[in-house]
Amino acid sequence: MEFQKAKEGAALVLAVTGRLDTLTAPQFEAECAACADAGDTRIVVDLSGLEYISSAGLRSILGAAKKLKSLGGGISFCGLSGIVAEVFTVSGFVKLLPVFPTRQEALAKA
Amino acid sequence: MRRGIALRLSALVLSSTGLVLVAVVAVSYILAREALLQSAEVNARNLSQSLVNRIEAVLTPIPPVVRGTVYALEDGGLTDEGIIRRQRRMLTDNDAVFGTSVSFEPFAHKPGERYFASYMFRTPLGFKTTHLGSDSYRYHYMDWYQLPRELDRLVWSEPYYDRGGGNVLMTTCAMPFHRMENGRPVVAGVVTSDVALEWLTRLVAGVSVLDTGYAYLISQSGAYITHPEPGVAFNETIFSRAEEFHDQQLRLLGQDMIRGGSRFVQMKSLHAGKEGFLMYAPLPSTGWSLAVFFPRDEMLARVHRQAMISAGLGGGGFLILALIVALIARGITRPLRRLTAAASEVAGGNLKAELPTISAHDEVGELAESFANMQTSLRRHIRDLTEATASRERMASELRIAHDIQMGILPKLFPPFPDRPEIDLFAELTPAREVGGDFYDFFPCGPDQFCFLVGDVSGKGVPAAFYMAVAKTLIKAVAESAADGGRRDTAGVPDPGSILARASDDLAQDNESCMFVTIFCAMLDMRTGRVRVASAGHNPPVLLRAAAGTAEYLPTHGDPVAGALPGVVYSTDELTLAPGDAILLYTDGVTEAMNPAQELFGEERLLVRARGLAGQPAQRVCEDVRAEVTSYAAGAEQSDDITLLTLRYLGAGANAGSTPPGETNGISKS
Repeated sequence: MEFQKAKEGAALVLAVTGRLDTLTAPQFEAECAACADAGDTRIVVDLSGLEYISSAGLRSILGAAKKLKSLGGGISFCGLSGIVAEVFTVSGFVKLLPVFPTRQEALAKA
Repeated sequence: MRRGIALRLSALVLSSTGLVLVAVVAVSYILAREALLQSAEVNARNLSQSLVNRIEAVLTPIPPVVRGTVYALEDGGLTDEGIIRRQRRMLTDNDAVFGTSVSFEPFAHKPGERYFASYMFRTPLGFKTTHLGSDSYRYHYMDWYQLPRELDRLVWSEPYYDRGGGNVLMTTCAMPFHRMENGRPVVAGVVTSDVALEWLTRLVAGVSVLDTGYAYLISQSGAYITHPEPGVAFNETIFSRAEEFHDQQLRLLGQDMIRGGSRFVQMKSLHAGKEGFLMYAPLPSTGWSLAVFFPRDEMLARVHRQAMISAGLGGGGFLILALIVALIARGITRPLRRLTAAASEVAGGNLKAELPTISAHDEVGELAESFANMQTSLRRHIRDLTEATASRERMASELRIAHDIQMGILPKLFPPFPDRPEIDLFAELTPAREVGGDFYDFFPCGPDQFCFLVGDVSGKGVPAAFYMAVAKTLIKAVAESAADGGRRDTAGVPDPGSILARASDDLAQDNESCMFVTIFCAMLDMRTGRVRVASAGHNPPVLLRAAAGTAEYLPTHGDPVAGALPGVVYSTDELTLAPGDAILLYTDGVTEAMNPAQELFGEERLLVRARGLAGQPAQRVCEDVRAEVTSYAAGAEQSDDITLLTLRYLGAGANAGSTPPGETNGISKS
């Protein structure tokens, strides 16, 4: 899995591509932790490049969300599609965490 | 001895040494032979020359003696007494002279005397004088007289056996003398001097050349004067012999010999029958030729003997060398052999085998040291491995126990409530590992209420198993407390949505690991078939309508997973089951089962299969879906726990009694 970071105003956009499963979930959590340590606590995760997400991936998202929240920041998601959107819907993550259709909307609310 | 390093080393060293040795012996033999053959010619010339000199020493003084007498006769004329005196002096002064004659032409000495030939010769009793000429011995016609007279010069005769004189082998040196007649010299007679040749034949025959070498003399006409083969001397000439044996080389040699040539040539001897060298040289005074034959094999015998000695010494040295090399090679490889034996023992499993102590600081010593290190590491490794294996076995055993415990907390006795004929329920769970995060549960919950649920904890393995145990216990506790807290005779107290909300809140507290669980919880009113359902992020269950023979997914509200965050609210839906209708709960281990091509089983496939199972007993539904998943996976590894739970409502009319199920439930706790 690969990450691409871009600073957009106060928020940091983290574009994730590949698969977010048991193997790669720790990478995602570590990446978010690194961003938080660098001072970027408001993160918009762009999942338009994500092919698959497992329950372990959801767990890492939850962990990142909790950490950022505890630091006074927040995390939001955009660009969900296909199976990723389905998993988010079925697992109710769309209700737990802020999810937006596009990056612009996510940044507007970040 | 095996074909070990020692043998190969020895063989290599010895074969190369042997080759070198053979080459040295062969080359030195060839060089020695060449040197010998070169010196052979010089030796042969020296030998023959010394023979010639010895013979010449005897023969050379003869002509001057004869010539002296001739001059005396020509100058002053000699009286008979003077002739006798002269002859006596010749015999006295020259031991080689056997006899001497002064022979006159017919009537030249004294008119009226046809024959006058005074001959004085040696006898054991002293000198004796005789007269040769008579009608029975007409010396004027003898060769010894005729040849010098006709040639008018000094002549050496062919050797002959003199029968008239001494009757011994001799040759004659003869010279004519003259007198003046009408101012011109005419031959008046011949002076001869006979030389016995016994000494010469003895001398030549006595020449010993190696073993079978020999010498011979031929006269100026090619006749053999001496020859080692009996009957050849005086009977054959070198040409007759060449003719007899068809030996062209011998004839050419003979021609050169009588011409006074001197050569050293290679040839084959007819007499000795072997190859060799012939040295011949002329005797200048007589025109004879002396030949000496050197057999080649005997000339080379010394070289051969030296070569034999060299070969013998070399061979002996080679054997000693072989012994030394073998000993050294064995000495070098002995530690290797001991090490090999020890290595075999170690390979056989005896890790404590004692290694030979090798003090040498060479490759073998290093090998032994490395081997000792290897043995130590091997021993340590085996010990670690044994410990690790034991530890792993302990862990595996603990996991087995954990599995048993986890399976034990799931109700497994079917049918669960024989006294409640309204419900037909079956459930099964197959963990992907020893322990997993899936669970199901069912239990009576207040009057005529029956709660059943399926859950799936995020992740797998031991953490998921712990969380699952906590979640399952918590939900049951919440549901039962809600039921107990409410009035048992009023319906609707345990609401699945509020049960999930409370359970989720409890789980979310101090959830450092951010684990969560998806739960589908349903509450059946056994009297009416009314079912209240709530979903915490769980897969939508399948509703099987028996009358219509249909299957459909229950719509969900997309409520979040439980335990993720506190304060989540879950909504409750309602539906009613007609008798025969069933609800199939499952976890994503079913829909996300993969075949070997990594393709998902999918929800559509599940729905199609479930449609054919509408109205079927709960156990049949579970088992058929499970079989479908297994055949779809076709041996691919199961990546997630697979859980199925089917509840079929049989209708209130099937109710056999009014005993509350909670007091007689048959849930197995084992």
